[in-house]
Amino acid sequence: MKIAMFKKIPTGYLFLTPFIIGFLIFGLYPVLNTLGLSFTNTTVMSSVHKFIWFDNFKSLFKDHVFIRAVGNTWLIWMLNFIPQVGIAMFLSVLFTSARLKVRAIGTWRALFFLPNLLMPAAVAALFNALFAYYGPVNQFMVRAGFMSEATRFLESILVTRGLVVFIQWWMWFGQTIIILMAGMTSIPITLYEAAMVDGASVWQMFRRITLPLLKPILIFIFVTSLVGGMQMFDIPFMLTDGRGSPLSSIQTNNILMYMKFASSKGHIGLASSVGVMVFIMTTVCALGIFYFLRDRDLGDKQPKRRLSIKKNTERSQS
Amino acid sequence: MINKYKFSTYVMRFFVYVLLFFLLIVTIIPIWLLIVNATRSTTEIQQGLSILPSSHMIENYNILIGRGLNLPRGFANSLFLAIASTVVTVYFSLLTAYGLVVYQFRGRKLISNFIIVLVMIPLQLSIIGFYRFMSKIGLTDNYLSLILPLLANAGAVFFGKQYFESMLIQDLIDAARIDGASELGIFHLVMLPLAVPGAATLGIFAFVASWNNFFNAFILITSLQKYTLPMLVQTMRGDVYRTEYGAIYLGLAITIVPIIIIYAIFSRYIVSGIALGAVKE
Repeated sequence: MKIAMFKKIPTGYLFLTPFIIGFLIFGLYPVLNTLGLSFTNTTVMSSVHKFIWFDNFKSLFKDHVFIRAVGNTWLIWMLNFIPQVGIAMFLSVLFTSARLKVRAIGTWRALFFLPNLLMPAAVAALFNALFAYYGPVNQFMVRAGFMSEATRFLESILVTRGLVVFIQWWMWFGQTIIILMAGMTSIPITLYEAAMVDGASVWQMFRRITLPLLKPILIFIFVTSLVGGMQMFDIPFMLTDGRGSPLSSIQTNNILMYMKFASSKGHIGLASSVGVMVFIMTTVCALGIFYFLRDRDLGDKQPKRRLSIKKNTERSQS
Repeated sequence: MINKYKFSTYVMRFFVYVLLFFLLIVTIIPIWLLIVNATRSTTEIQQGLSILPSSHMIENYNILIGRGLNLPRGFANSLFLAIASTVVTVYFSLLTAYGLVVYQFRGRKLISNFIIVLVMIPLQLSIIGFYRFMSKIGLTDNYLSLILPLLANAGAVFFGKQYFESMLIQDLIDAARIDGASELGIFHLVMLPLAVPGAATLGIFAFVASWNNFFNAFILITSLQKYTLPMLVQTMRGDVYRTEYGAIYLGLAITIVPIIIIYAIFSRYIVSGIALGAVKE
């Protein structure tokens, strides 16, 4: 037995070696490299570069471009995230309701999820075509009499931002339904039965049982959505001219980083500093939310009851 | 009392189905318009909206190809890259996950937690440093720069770990050991064949992720010969196709329809895979 234990020790590491090497070379090193580059004035064109300390970061904050990109990204992400979770939560409650007994839940879910798998670049190009001046949306609106003449939709800040938000929502609400339903069905039914015996209303059961027990899953959805949202690129890039038009209203963090990178001189140093700033911002938010919310309970008013619920879930999850 | 309850249930059910049908139309209509318009000529598209397909697909395809867009080549590139990415992701993620689940060693818990942290870190933002690194070792404009990072795919390892934890049969491993199989041999000959359903789910996600990947390829790949489909979609926005609506829709449909077909076949795996990847933390 002792020999077996001894032999097991190196084997575990053996299995992990490709991952660790891959991570160090292709995960960690590029991050450090980006950090290093962000302190230099490196360009694509020149092989010499200077260490210029925080000049890149200073110039980022000097003009409004960077702040605007960060603001755009947060705005678009939040406007998509709130209805995404709201609608997904509502539908999940309907789908799991014992009273409504909705039919063919699997098919509904599968159809709502479909947009998630489509190529974001192609989806954005599709919406660009649909909302073009001679596109189907204009044709429909004019023929049906909703508008007197065709509109240049993609030159309106409201419409373009709205479209990015809509596409993001369209692509992700189905996935959120699947995750939320998986969480809801793992809640022991006895909790609801007990609450019903006590005369709890549907809303009370949702508020006091479903929501608290879904917390870990909601945090998971929140964090993964945030990390994805802060790196949003394909959709705003392909929807208009690739610079976040009109008036840079859909210019996100990553589009700005790409524009610095692909500018005529190829400012790698400056582009890196954009990456570093957004990286820090996102990582701090994501990990902060994850660790601060993970093990704490919601509210502190009725500790005894919650304790018993918690025990139940631990049992059901293990 | 009971009847009233029943009646209100029926009313609620009616409104629920109305809502579901509305959402279904919202979900499907952009995709449907895309496929329909891909079969209509540019003149037809300009004349008005239709929800029924026409017969100009071949014509559109000829316009698309005739203006210098090498779509078959892009399709082959995307397919090759997606298959290579899938193989690397599935094999190495399951290898890592298996190592984490089966063996006891110092730092196991730490690495497991670290992988969860990695899932939450926006590594794409280090693309500039990655690009610089790749250009130094001569791997820009090479598919290896898109495949090698998948050796350490945290999300896939996390999924694989969940999967092995739900299925692992310690007795089988012990039996194989008694029969004299090596540890790697057990993984390859006993566990991998057993893990086929999980590997399939993981593989579909890896395939779709690679097929749809635009940003990294856009930065790392430069020669037209190596362009993947999303990069060709990007070039399609140029002036050459400005007024060829039918051809543009067809080009987009060609990138999207293969994924819809894959989904139609494997949707069960995909939906269950998402739930497995998220629940249980």
